[in-house]
Amino acid sequence: MGFFSKFRKKSPWILHYNTGGCNGCDIEILSALAPRYDIERFGMLNRGNPKQADILLVTGPVTKNCKDVLRRLYLEMAEPKVVVAMGACAHGGGIFRNFYHVENGVNNIIPVDVWIPGCAPRVEALIDGMVEAIEIWQQKSKEKEYLRDHEKVIKTLGVEDDG
Amino acid sequence: MINVILTILAPFFGGIVYGIERVVKARMQRRVGPPLMQPFYDFFKLMDKRPIMIHSLHALMGIMYFIAEWFALGVLLLGNDLLIAVFFHVIAVLSLVVGASSVRSPYSVLGALRELMHMISYEPLMVLMVVALYLVVGSFDIKDILSYDGYPILKLPFVFIAFLLTIPMMLQKSPFDVAEAHQEIIGGPEIEYSGPFYEALYTGKWIEYIYVFTFVFLFGGSHYWLGALLVIFAFLFVNLLDNSTARLDFRRMVKFAWGFLIPMAAFNVILLALFE
Repeated sequence: MGFFSKFRKKSPWILHYNTGGCNGCDIEILSALAPRYDIERFGMLNRGNPKQADILLVTGPVTKNCKDVLRRLYLEMAEPKVVVAMGACAHGGGIFRNFYHVENGVNNIIPVDVWIPGCAPRVEALIDGMVEAIEIWQQKSKEKEYLRDHEKVIKTLGVEDDG
Repeated sequence: MINVILTILAPFFGGIVYGIERVVKARMQRRVGPPLMQPFYDFFKLMDKRPIMIHSLHALMGIMYFIAEWFALGVLLLGNDLLIAVFFHVIAVLSLVVGASSVRSPYSVLGALRELMHMISYEPLMVLMVVALYLVVGSFDIKDILSYDGYPILKLPFVFIAFLLTIPMMLQKSPFDVAEAHQEIIGGPEIEYSGPFYEALYTGKWIEYIYVFTFVFLFGGSHYWLGALLVIFAFLFVNLLDNSTARLDFRRMVKFAWGFLIPMAAFNVILLALFE
């Protein structure tokens, strides 16, 4: 925890990724950016870019097609980073659980720090989850984080580890 | 003295301008908006991220952009030739283009090409504006322009309007934010920068604000109140334009610059040369 770590909580930048949900959660996220809730007053911005984002906000059950994309987004984000799973689908599949094309939730692919329950969660729940994510984010260091099966993932993605 | 202070503290003042802009933009959309010091919080946060580089030239060019931008501002403010300041700004943008086109990401390369389109659109206009100021004042030196007794804006109304519509191209604002295009090519040239290296680009942009609004200030001549009014007007106008318009195609941007803005500025310069 250095001098700069204190300012982390003032500017969390969000990367939002939908892994095949019904778009209900995404509409809630967009309404959080709109004038009524105005999430930017906490310094949060919706960056579409994993390299500059701090919080990965995932919605939807992870379909088999986009699980590698999700892993890749996670690996491209610079530490310290936090993963937030939003909505019932992201928690364990929701109504898609045990379907043939679904990986049953985000936690089976990447480690999740904060869960936001609901289908779809209200914007208040989203903001509450973000506040909790920021608290976890402040404890983290900027050391590199590895996935559970890191070697295998790197092999399937066909990328090189930057070490 | 004040120009030395402004040059050395340019990133600080630019950050405050950017903070004010974010608040003004939010208020225009009936939001509360971030705190005034938000750009500095972002700055400190980016210091604390793990540095990830694509390769060393890419990172170097990002830092080069920041330094060249600051240098161009220094040349402009410390009383040198205005034309030289314009050309140093070209070096800054070119280093951004070289950095962005040296990586494999298609968005980055596309952004670099569009950045060149931006340069094609606004650089001739910058040179024309400097020439027009020379015709009015009789000198390229910023000190002579700022001690000129008349009102340059009264002699150069069309040049001023043309420059006002060029500011969105230089600052990547909405009708002409073709290179950055946050929803389309996710930041363009800056997409592959992360952590401390992105910070160089982020800060370079703040310096660009000071650089552009210094040019607006020159239209007031020795009447500093007029210059200040013009800067405030230009700031609000650009933000209003940014909030109320959608992004154009890059072809339409170049067509607008070469078909409308440059002839208008050239018309003003020709009239001035004929009747002076």
